[in-house]
Amino acid sequence: MKKILLLSIFSVFMLVTSAWAQERTVTGRVTSTDDGSALPGVNVVVKGTTQGTITDTDGAYRISVPAGSTALSFSFVGFVAQDVQIGSRVVVDIQLATDVTQLSEVVVTGYASIDKRQISGAISSVKGSTIENLPLQSFDRALQGRAAGVLVQSNNGIPGGGVSIRIRGTGSISAGNTPLYIVDGVQINSTDNANFTQSNPLAFLNPNDIASMEVLKDAASAAIYGAQAANGVVIITTKKGKAGKPVINFSAYTGVSEPIKLLDVLDSQEWYGLRREARLNSGSSSFDATQLALNDMGRRPANFATLTEAELLAIADGLPTYDWQKETFSTGKVSNYEVSFSGGDDKNKYYISTSYNRQDAIIKPVNFERGTIKMDLTNTLSPKLKLVTSLNLSTFKQDIPFAVSGSFLGSPAFSSSAVLPHNAIYNEDGSYNTSIAGVLNQNVIQVLNQNTGYQRTNQAVGNMTFTYDIMKGLNFRSLWGLDYRIVQGESYRDPRTPDGAAVRGRNSQQSNWNVNFISAQTFNYNKTFNTVHNVSAVAGFEYRSETNEQLTAASTGFPTFQFRTLSSGAVDEAVDGFWTGYHRYGIFAQANYDYNKKYAGTVTIRRDGSSRFGTENRYGLFTSISGAWILKEENFLKDVDFVTDLKVRASYGETGNDAIGNFPAVALYTGGAAANYNGTPGIRPAGIANLSLGWETNQTVNFGVDFGLFNNRITSAVDIYRRTSKDLLLQQPTPWLSGYDNYFANVGSLVNQGVEVELNGVVVDAAGFNWKVNFNFAYNENYVSELFGGLEELPGNTSVRVGHSLGTYFVNKYAGVNPATGRPMWDDINGNPVYAPTAADRYLLGNSLPEFYGGLTNTFSYKGFALDLFFNYEYGRITPDAQVGFLRENGTRLTLNALQETHDERWTTPGQITNIPRPVVGGAEVRGVGVNTGDVNFWKADFIRLKQITLSYNFPASLINRAGLTNARAYVQGINLWTYSDYLGYDPEFVDVNNGSGLLPQSKNYTVGIQLGF
Amino acid sequence: MKRRNIQTILRNTAILFALMLGSISCDDLLDVEPRTGVDANTVLTTPDAVQAAINSAYARLRAQSNYGRDLLAVSDALADIGFATNNSGRLIQEARNQIYSHFTHWQNSYFAINEININLKAVTENTLSPAATQAQLDKWNSELKFLRALYYHDLVRAYAYDPGTTGPVASQDRGGVPLMLEAITTSAAATAAQAPRASVAAIYAQIYQDLNDAIAIAPTTGGPFFATRASAQALLSRVALYNREYSLVVTQSTNAIASAGALISGAAYVNGFRATTNPESIFEVKFQDSNESLGVNVSMQSSFTSSLSLSALTSTGGWGDFAPGTPLKTQLGVSGTTVGQITTGADIRGQLYIVGPGRGSGAKIENVKFISKNGIPYLDNVPVIRKTEMYLNRAEAYATPGSTVFDEALALADLNTVRAARGLGAVALTGAALYEEILLQRRLEFAFEGHRWFDLKRLGRDVIKVGLFAGAADLAFTDSRVLANIPQREIDGNPNLVQNFGY
Repeated sequence: MKKILLLSIFSVFMLVTSAWAQERTVTGRVTSTDDGSALPGVNVVVKGTTQGTITDTDGAYRISVPAGSTALSFSFVGFVAQDVQIGSRVVVDIQLATDVTQLSEVVVTGYASIDKRQISGAISSVKGSTIENLPLQSFDRALQGRAAGVLVQSNNGIPGGGVSIRIRGTGSISAGNTPLYIVDGVQINSTDNANFTQSNPLAFLNPNDIASMEVLKDAASAAIYGAQAANGVVIITTKKGKAGKPVINFSAYTGVSEPIKLLDVLDSQEWYGLRREARLNSGSSSFDATQLALNDMGRRPANFATLTEAELLAIADGLPTYDWQKETFSTGKVSNYEVSFSGGDDKNKYYISTSYNRQDAIIKPVNFERGTIKMDLTNTLSPKLKLVTSLNLSTFKQDIPFAVSGSFLGSPAFSSSAVLPHNAIYNEDGSYNTSIAGVLNQNVIQVLNQNTGYQRTNQAVGNMTFTYDIMKGLNFRSLWGLDYRIVQGESYRDPRTPDGAAVRGRNSQQSNWNVNFISAQTFNYNKTFNTVHNVSAVAGFEYRSETNEQLTAASTGFPTFQFRTLSSGAVDEAVDGFWTGYHRYGIFAQANYDYNKKYAGTVTIRRDGSSRFGTENRYGLFTSISGAWILKEENFLKDVDFVTDLKVRASYGETGNDAIGNFPAVALYTGGAAANYNGTPGIRPAGIANLSLGWETNQTVNFGVDFGLFNNRITSAVDIYRRTSKDLLLQQPTPWLSGYDNYFANVGSLVNQGVEVELNGVVVDAAGFNWKVNFNFAYNENYVSELFGGLEELPGNTSVRVGHSLGTYFVNKYAGVNPATGRPMWDDINGNPVYAPTAADRYLLGNSLPEFYGGLTNTFSYKGFALDLFFNYEYGRITPDAQVGFLRENGTRLTLNALQETHDERWTTPGQITNIPRPVVGGAEVRGVGVNTGDVNFWKADFIRLKQITLSYNFPASLINRAGLTNARAYVQGINLWTYSDYLGYDPEFVDVNNGSGLLPQSKNYTVGIQLGF
Repeated sequence: MKRRNIQTILRNTAILFALMLGSISCDDLLDVEPRTGVDANTVLTTPDAVQAAINSAYARLRAQSNYGRDLLAVSDALADIGFATNNSGRLIQEARNQIYSHFTHWQNSYFAINEININLKAVTENTLSPAATQAQLDKWNSELKFLRALYYHDLVRAYAYDPGTTGPVASQDRGGVPLMLEAITTSAAATAAQAPRASVAAIYAQIYQDLNDAIAIAPTTGGPFFATRASAQALLSRVALYNREYSLVVTQSTNAIASAGALISGAAYVNGFRATTNPESIFEVKFQDSNESLGVNVSMQSSFTSSLSLSALTSTGGWGDFAPGTPLKTQLGVSGTTVGQITTGADIRGQLYIVGPGRGSGAKIENVKFISKNGIPYLDNVPVIRKTEMYLNRAEAYATPGSTVFDEALALADLNTVRAARGLGAVALTGAALYEEILLQRRLEFAFEGHRWFDLKRLGRDVIKVGLFAGAADLAFTDSRVLANIPQREIDGNPNLVQNFGY
């Protein structure tokens, strides 16, 4: 944030050079006592005059000192000001010390920036440097564990894939829960429109171009964004140019990605034995079980009836075992190259960068490849008029997986662990074995190598901002921004693969255009009255419109597999498209006041209108108020030395949520394939109108305390909050009798409340060795406080219940295996074990939201070496895992492989106490229910993960200066190297609509990198 | 800066801001017209729109829960037709009559019924522009009423006990299904749609009325994909049989036969199941193109056979999740182990079976009534009412003891007509033997078309499953699993609705 301060200092500073008689010139260099680095932008004034200058990027200055002047004053925000006697010197080099009491940072809070010390809401900041050079494709992933109260969960391991972010819990049932992302003032569309893979829209930005990220967590901070801010706001500020000589930075890293974990599944003999046992348990004779189990594996000889049981068993004994997972998962490459140029003078500054990033997933051909160009220009057109232009151009291409998730036969991520292990992968001549026995009858290695397809996102995000100083303290700012994106893709199902064979190949195409326009016109006012009353205010108008259009097409019937383009298909199969859009505007005003830096307060008001709502209820009014008391400034604390800083904060505010479809309030008839009949067009109602549909409102109360102890060796921020979401945008279920499933209505309310702690400390700082710890923790409790019509449970959705968390699992309770029979049992409503439980017997198991989560960073540094260890953790979430669900059926229902663990623990003898029932063909005992019924396949997703470990070395200036470098750093880095979890599936981190089957797991990465500055 | 200047600037700024506030309170900025949909309030004002809206009510018959799969495949799996192969794991719970594994066409059927009610209102109000002709209005009216009768009958026979069967299950009889006849177009009305279950008699009365209305005005041509007079007569014949009103069965069967033409026999019958449109059909649901295919997992074809197509019987295509059991194969006289072939007896219906390549569970005899007949993978039209049913309905009406039109000679004549058309010799039976033979012919004729379950149920018979697969257990008529469970959300959201017994 210092950079922004510098900019503002630069831009307001007017160099005054008057000719004085007998003057002399003094030069020098200002450095920091911390690390000896140059301090650019330091204010150097001849004491007792108005004559001054500022240091350049090397910290150097040159100043004319009139006769009679004896001292220079050096001042710089965040450092202790110094007066230095010149004496007879012509060179005055000094070191400035960090002023811990004044260590102020400017925090971007939306349409204004504010000194961190004056903040009265709850805002977390993450500096660009802390997420630098992580092999992550989108910045949302990089936020994981870095900011208290910000829950970041991956959907899967697809590079550039989806991420779920929840700030202070889940606040909506049917509307969106994603925060608002703003990049340099442009509100970004974060909806993934890709059809063939997940293309995270936030991956357009090279994370290394980010200077800082601010997370506005409480409603008071976010209220300036009104109707879009209910889920919090993430403000991204990218790097800007600084005045001074041109700086060139080059950075590169390269490495590999590898699987974190493979599942332990059975070999062929174990599987055969299991299946034979299942046949026996299902009532087959010994001979029949022996031959049928062979038949289930596709290995029963035609003359089996003439063979003895022993001969048949010998066939099973001779079956080989192949490791499909090992063949499916592979090592991928990771690489990143980028260069940036920045510099400028006091009037015009530039920052230009370009980057190339590539990451392979651990299952081919899935990858991510991105090129970006970023350009930031600041031009002072006249003393009053400034123009800031920012442009991010980006293109990324992803080779697509067979499917993002789901239990598809051809999906390598799903099938590789579950295919029967006796199936060879290749024939003896090296060709693919296409005769695969078992329910998973596709050779997924063939499928992943022969299918092709890509998804490409071309995106331009830019804005132009004019700032006009109307008078001192008052300016007008006019922002015009665009977030334009085309997502395009192709998927080709090769006719040599089973899914393509039925239709002789299928080429599917998608083109999706998203145009997101934003304009904001604001007045900013700053004034200090009587030196103690500081007033700042912003008032403005904002307009946003967005349209999304799509065209899809497919063709089938390809001459041969070599013909792969849409035009080569003989049969045009499906042509489809849509158009959708919305408009939204708001007017807002915010006033900040502080008295002598002791008491600070903010009031915000905003009125929003959105086209998404009913014509009777389109406008919403959002207000907030917050205050802070900086106790350290009070006399009774001024002299308490060990307290460096102490502030208490309180806020209350309202924000809105309109993250629903674009036309949910109106009743529409739509056409399409589902309604057509006999080749003639059909239309049907797509919903019912609700003309009074309006905002979902979030009200957040926040109390916080910030403190620093022992010269800020320990700093901390603690917040408690209660976030009430009311008038929920709920898809209120209607009886199906009505002909409709639901309609959007403002009913019900829910509460998120919790505690957040950020704690930073210097554990050791001695003899050049430094150990810093940053820790954050968030606890969140979520419960539904009201539904509609007095209902205690949302009809048709047992996960929404009054008094309980969203995502509550209401399921049958597993009672273990009957030791006498080996049959699985569940508790009935009275707690008695039964074989076939009913809906009435369900109980509350837990929920899908974590109780607490956060991160821990340890940084050790010694003489240029630094070791970073970053952990993140989550506790209290329960999730089903469909992948494990299939594998823990012990091959009974479908001919799928099974987990070693569930195989070894199955019931085999009367009296045995275990949780895994005896295997029976069909997966369910007669008059029983499936083995995965109820809470059996739900798992605790608690984990601690070593997300990042980096060992780096900064080459000493003395060494690199000779090579013309200003800095040089080399590092080795590991991602996801260690996980503590007893989760049975691939990854405890995932959240997925299909409950985790067929997900491409995350990888662990090893990279080496270098950064050079010229 | 002078004080006055500051004041001027402040004043001008304030004015500018006020202007901004004022100018944006106009709603113009928020006007976004949807393009992929048309306002429901104004859409049904032209004949073309009404026609398109009626198409949707037909199209809902294609849903998996209705004639896309379940009313045929789930129905036969619940009954004593065959066994689930466990190839994809589908239909296995239904074949084992596991609790909650049953019909699920409640939602789609009531959605269709509301669309029908809305369309009936538009047709009745008749304020279309350009004006509709009387012929158009009659056609629409009759189609909508036929469809409403069909949806209600499919609901009441799945979710409620049939007329005259409640003796042994009186204590677990919870009535019919809710009767919805008003068009619902507002959220208030939708929220208030908390109807209780009407009596079975009330549902049948409504079905009768709708079908009689339809018969009076329906066109005589235009089938089998659209409702005609014959289809309304045929459906009324079926409904009357369920309602045990045998004289009506006879009249309507006779009428339908007169309207729809003679029974198809011999090779023409078998070829009828190879053709896009079955010449036997009085009413058939059309599956037009690949967008309407339910795909490799749940299409009719994939449910019953693993063969890819008629021209590639030995290639693996679908799952073949449900296959005929030994009793049915014996009754039909089919056997074989060579993939792509079948050995049949005199009964030509055996030719509708083939040894499929199998999948996972190995090659076995499968039914191929649905095998991409429409020329697109996994796309087959589904016959809802075939002519043969009219003969068998009438025969049963004549042969049922206590029938008001009891006449064994006429019953035998109809039975032998059907037998002859299927390559079987005439029989001379009376009494229970005759009656059972009629039911057996129904079973063989409509195997894999979903009739058997409902026939057993409307007669109050137990489902004999032992012998179909290892570990099978019979399902007594008194077992609660004979009725489908009403979706739990409907019970939760409607205090007037009572769940079926045992759920």
